[in-house]
Amino acid sequence: MNDFSELEKELRKLRPTQPSPVLFERVGEALKNCRASAAADAKWKRWRFPETPYNWWSLGFGLAAAAVLILFAAVTVERLHEHQQTIAQSSPAPETRPVPLGPERSISASRFVPAGGTNLVYNARDEGLHFADGSERPVRRVRYRTQQTWRWRNPETGASLRVSYPSEEVVLIPVSGQ
Amino acid sequence: MEPIASHENWRNCFCEVAPGLLLFARQWVQSAADAEDIVQDAFVKFWRRNHDIANRALLYAAVRSLALDFIRRDARRARREATVLAEAEPAIEPHFQLEDDTQSALAAAVESLPRDQREVLVLKIWNDFTFSEIAGALGISQNTAASRYRYALTNLKKTLQPQ
Repeated sequence: MNDFSELEKELRKLRPTQPSPVLFERVGEALKNCRASAAADAKWKRWRFPETPYNWWSLGFGLAAAAVLILFAAVTVERLHEHQQTIAQSSPAPETRPVPLGPERSISASRFVPAGGTNLVYNARDEGLHFADGSERPVRRVRYRTQQTWRWRNPETGASLRVSYPSEEVVLIPVSGQ
Repeated sequence: MEPIASHENWRNCFCEVAPGLLLFARQWVQSAADAEDIVQDAFVKFWRRNHDIANRALLYAAVRSLALDFIRRDARRARREATVLAEAEPAIEPHFQLEDDTQSALAAAVESLPRDQREVLVLKIWNDFTFSEIAGALGISQNTAASRYRYALTNLKKTLQPQ
């Protein structure tokens, strides 16, 4: 910058034109207006937020935070409820579906075919000789206690139906005399 | 909140910066009256938040911003003024208080500089800004400010050299 030191010195000798005196008055007026508007703002603020021991900003933030927490909790509970409903709906349908009645039942029943039966004698008791109904020939009366089971099977679906019930049977065996 | 106009030092501060501030504003607007309007608005806005001129780069940045807004808002008028100014004598609204022909030639050379070099020169010479402050006021780097200043001086020297 040494090359330009003389030039800089000459430039500094140039004095910018001075602002008009009116400009100072205008700036002063504008600043006074600013003060008046600032005072009005402050007065309005005091009216809106009167001097109290409370810190209004803290109170506001506290209320806002509480509102957010309540909102969050409500959303969480709602989501939990929806989740439970989803689980209930996703359980197997046949368990909750009512048993079909009417024609559908008869159609499926008609497709069952007999698949066998058993007659299990679990007790036989000889009750001795008797004369039945005025007969001259004695008969031996034997009482059988059985468990009868009948089975049907649906060839299309492979489903089976079994009916089992106890039964009692009395058998009269004629006795021939020698 | 501190009362704004009770700070009577605003007048002292304004007296100190007003001539350089006005010269800076006139880099964009040719009319002295418009430049004063811009300076007034910028200073009032600045003083409402700053009660001293320690951060004066902000004040000059405000002047520049308002001047650019003025140009955009009133482009037609600015064009008309530029045309009129090109045809008019520069002594009608001089930027400097001229004492002799040497200063007139120097002022004319300054006014013929490109705007980007001229605004750096104005801030450096007549507002005593550092390159750091210039960078802050104009939104450029310090190196750019320094190089523009060097170009401005080089161009001035070339212009003022006897043929």
